[in-house]
Amino acid sequence: MSTLVEVLRPGFLLHDALVGSVLIGIVCPLVGVYFVLRRMIFLGVALPQLSAAGIAFALLLHRSMVGPHLHIAATDATLARVGAMVFTLGGILVLATLERRGRAIVEARIGVTYAIAGALTILFLAADPWGEAQMVNLLKGDLLATTEKSLTVLVAVLGAVVVTLFAFQKEFLLVSFDHDLAVVFGKAVGVWDATLYFVCGITISFGVLAAGPLVTFGFLVAPPLTARLLTRHMLSFSLAAAAIGGACAFTGFCLAYRYDMPLGPAEVAVACAVLLVVGAGAWVHQQLGRRAA
Amino acid sequence: MDLELAPGEFVALLGPNGAGKTTLLRGIVGLLSVLAGTIDYDFDRATSPIGYVPQREALDPTFPLTVHEVVLMGTYARLPALRRPGRAERRLAAESLDLVGLGALAEERFGSLSGGQTQRVLIARALAAQPRLLVLDEPTAGVDTEATAAIMKVLTRLNRDQGLTVLLVTHHVRVLRGIANAVVWVQDGRATRRRLDDVLAPAELDVVPGGA
Repeated sequence: MSTLVEVLRPGFLLHDALVGSVLIGIVCPLVGVYFVLRRMIFLGVALPQLSAAGIAFALLLHRSMVGPHLHIAATDATLARVGAMVFTLGGILVLATLERRGRAIVEARIGVTYAIAGALTILFLAADPWGEAQMVNLLKGDLLATTEKSLTVLVAVLGAVVVTLFAFQKEFLLVSFDHDLAVVFGKAVGVWDATLYFVCGITISFGVLAAGPLVTFGFLVAPPLTARLLTRHMLSFSLAAAAIGGACAFTGFCLAYRYDMPLGPAEVAVACAVLLVVGAGAWVHQQLGRRAA
Repeated sequence: MDLELAPGEFVALLGPNGAGKTTLLRGIVGLLSVLAGTIDYDFDRATSPIGYVPQREALDPTFPLTVHEVVLMGTYARLPALRRPGRAERRLAAESLDLVGLGALAEERFGSLSGGQTQRVLIARALAAQPRLLVLDEPTAGVDTEATAAIMKVLTRLNRDQGLTVLLVTHHVRVLRGIANAVVWVQDGRATRRRLDDVLAPAELDVVPGGA
């Protein structure tokens, strides 16, 4: 209780990190809902890894062309954002194109993407010792390094993502649930698919930069899977996923602060624990229902 | 291939497996680009969308959607981007569901329905688009006799009472008796209009899986 009071009091030292955590906890599940519904969960692993590779590449490029970089400089953050977005959006573009052409099975494409991204991340880091320290922090989840400025950018970008998701929910649902019907209705299916992928890419890029690939993947997947066990409407599914994600991020933050644990892994562990508990509850409920029947 | 449908007709596409029935159907609704020739409609597809009922296996039953939400998707045909379904669209979806006799299941999970119920919900969704042409891809595949009869009854009523033009692919030839105005036999890259009685001859039934 004292931790809760301390965390919520005005002027709390890690206020920006707390807000950043909860924001990512809320927005990543809203995007993850579509990953789960489209049965592309593994894309949630591959894309954050691709984003990390983009960051490593951007830092390496900076060192090669400009010289050693200072990781506290604003240009580094901008560079990292550009690298993350280019790699993530590029990866989405290639995967979406291959999906349309129906080449190889989806899991194989995503698996290869993950392997390539992982290998590239390590190779880029090996060539740039300055980048390595920053990337290690990033992979652990560097939410504690959130500043007022980076938080402002995060709020603006993720806020735009939320508005886009709710504004075009009808279109995103139609192309995700029944692609063919959307074509028959004459909808611009390619545009809506591209918009959805773009929103996913932006969320993942900024999520990885703020919290690391582990946290981003964890919140893309665990809260939507939990929410699906509890809801039966599309809107309530999205809202429940966001609420569960936000609550798990907040709880994880409090636990990490109270017990001096790494922040990102603590948040993901809470989200996964909630999924296990709700999953077990749903299973018991189902068994009881069968017996009663 | 030359095929013409008159308004208010009930036409079935028949033929052996792999003859191209579904391909023809997908070309008609715009899911496949036609490599040569043209497909013309006597209505504006932008203002009068085609009501399309896909094979139910094409849809993921694990989506968290109620029956009403699925039917409501039919109204998206006429809704521009940024406009959410309002009271009028919800009423239209409810009426469409009533037309197929499943109004009581509106709040059930779509994924929990039987095969026959799922097909009728998809017909209701197509009706919510307020189409002039209803196109169905094997609506009776994998459903029992009772459900098949219920589906055909709904389609017959829509065709006779509301003047809806119906085009469907089916392997259940016998259920078309007394319902279809004509059948189109698809084989070897040709579509030929025939009388249903000719197709119901025992020799033809041998090449229509499920037709006997």
